[in-house]
Amino acid sequence: MATTYRRKPTKAEIRRQKMEELAMFPIDWLEERSGLIGGVRYFLFRNVPADINWMQTLGSAALTAFLVQAITGVILAMYYVPSAATDPKTGDPVAWESIVHITDDLTLGWLVRGMHRWGASVFIILMFLHMGRVFLFGAYKYPRELNWIIGVLILVSGMMEGFTGYLLPWDQTAYWATVVGINLNGTAPFLGPWLAQFLRGGQEISGETLTRFYSLHMLLIPGAIIGLITLHLYLVIRLGVTSPPWSKDAAGMEPEEEEGARLRPGLTRPVPRPSGASAMQAEPGGQE
Amino acid sequence: MAAIPKEKPSRIDEARAEFARYKADVKARGKPFYPYAMFHDTIMSLVVVCTIIGLAVIWKWSAWGPDHDPTHTGLRGAEVAAPADPGTTSFVPRPDWYFYFLFYLLRIFKWPESVFLGTVGVPTIALILLIMLPFLDRRRVRRPSARPVAMVAAVLTIISMGVLTWKGATAKEALASEVVRDVPNWVKAENLPANALPGAQLFATAGCTACHTYNGSGGSNLGAPDLTEIGSRNLGLQFQVNHLKCPSCVNPGSAMPPFASLGDERLNQLAVFLEASKGSP
Repeated sequence: MATTYRRKPTKAEIRRQKMEELAMFPIDWLEERSGLIGGVRYFLFRNVPADINWMQTLGSAALTAFLVQAITGVILAMYYVPSAATDPKTGDPVAWESIVHITDDLTLGWLVRGMHRWGASVFIILMFLHMGRVFLFGAYKYPRELNWIIGVLILVSGMMEGFTGYLLPWDQTAYWATVVGINLNGTAPFLGPWLAQFLRGGQEISGETLTRFYSLHMLLIPGAIIGLITLHLYLVIRLGVTSPPWSKDAAGMEPEEEEGARLRPGLTRPVPRPSGASAMQAEPGGQE
Repeated sequence: MAAIPKEKPSRIDEARAEFARYKADVKARGKPFYPYAMFHDTIMSLVVVCTIIGLAVIWKWSAWGPDHDPTHTGLRGAEVAAPADPGTTSFVPRPDWYFYFLFYLLRIFKWPESVFLGTVGVPTIALILLIMLPFLDRRRVRRPSARPVAMVAAVLTIISMGVLTWKGATAKEALASEVVRDVPNWVKAENLPANALPGAQLFATAGCTACHTYNGSGGSNLGAPDLTEIGSRNLGLQFQVNHLKCPSCVNPGSAMPPFASLGDERLNQLAVFLEASKGSP
């Protein structure tokens, strides 16, 4: 960068420099006004422990599954009609017909709906696996307690998405599973009957239940999940990811635990840590 | 080194010191998220997307029947079931697979006294325990080998969730065509009068046996009670009809769906049959 020219820069060099400035202009403009570029740089180039392993990709895998749900969901919402009214021409419910139309008639509609339908299961499975990994690593402990709670809330919201989305095809499976599901909510003490009434939008499951579930499924619950995921990621970036607890080189391990000589006399570990790290350890104040 | 020797640092002090060490270690010896961790994340995300596309493709190519019947069941289930029809009552409700554990839990608790434990009690307690986990387990140690209680609890949770999901998935559903063959046995066992026969046929075919057992037929879904001896409670015809029309109006909080769509005549037949069911003499 800081090449010093003894001679006068050639025209080609000046042109090159101007091009670089031009290319950087929008990035500099954005950074100066928002600091976003710095944020992204921090996100990308922050250090993570050197010994993280494949199990720690499950969280981002679950995020990917959620993004698949979001994108396919937006496309489905363009064609799906949340109406339990009967189509006078065919005698079938409009919502059911729109689902059949998406799956059978639209170009690649079967793929979009298939991905949304099966992606839901994949999302749930990945969230459970991710939770299992965090449990195994003990990664819910100080200072990451709050992120565990947020994760549980995301899992519960994801299952609520499953429950509300299940009704939308408005077929027999959907209808009767929801009849029973809502009645089960109704058995809760105090709030139960009120909740059941609210979900149904009346005494019986009807078109009003369908629009209600549609709204919850594509506005309220996904909004909540996006908010929770944002918080979740913020805390992951702020607090960092843990080393596998069994790692011989785990970040944050107590210094005396590392002295292999004490545990295995006669064997010495040839590579001590870089001096910078041990100097930092002596003073825990070296926190950023 | 430290000037004042402390007796013993408190747990939170130790945790704070460990986290400070962690931050310093990561800064000094870690590797940048991009490209190292991000590379793994990208590979894994590609696997996820390909899996989802694969499932959708298998679903499409196996579910579409030869004559393009949308309700044809393939390897991964039908494209869509028949349109929702509140009038039919013989449809066996089935949730999505990740609710099977809940679905089966309901069979363990019996209606009506303890079913609320299955629907709300146990799941709520489990959820509270899950949320409270970081405050229940406050030791600093993270190695699984040093956390026997946590590991045993986790294994037991996984096994019980697995068993409940499996049992829920394979739970036998009573098919109306099989149950209706048992009707002559009911007549013999319970000494049913002739006027109870239409009600018995209806009981076998209208979906009652999806949740209720009767003389060994049917499945006890959702903790619904056995009705073999329901008549011995002498609830009366009018009660039975009202209850069938709107179960939750008579029994607040009942999970049973209303059967008003059957019509008064058939509801009356059902009521006669239920009242005649006094159990084996």
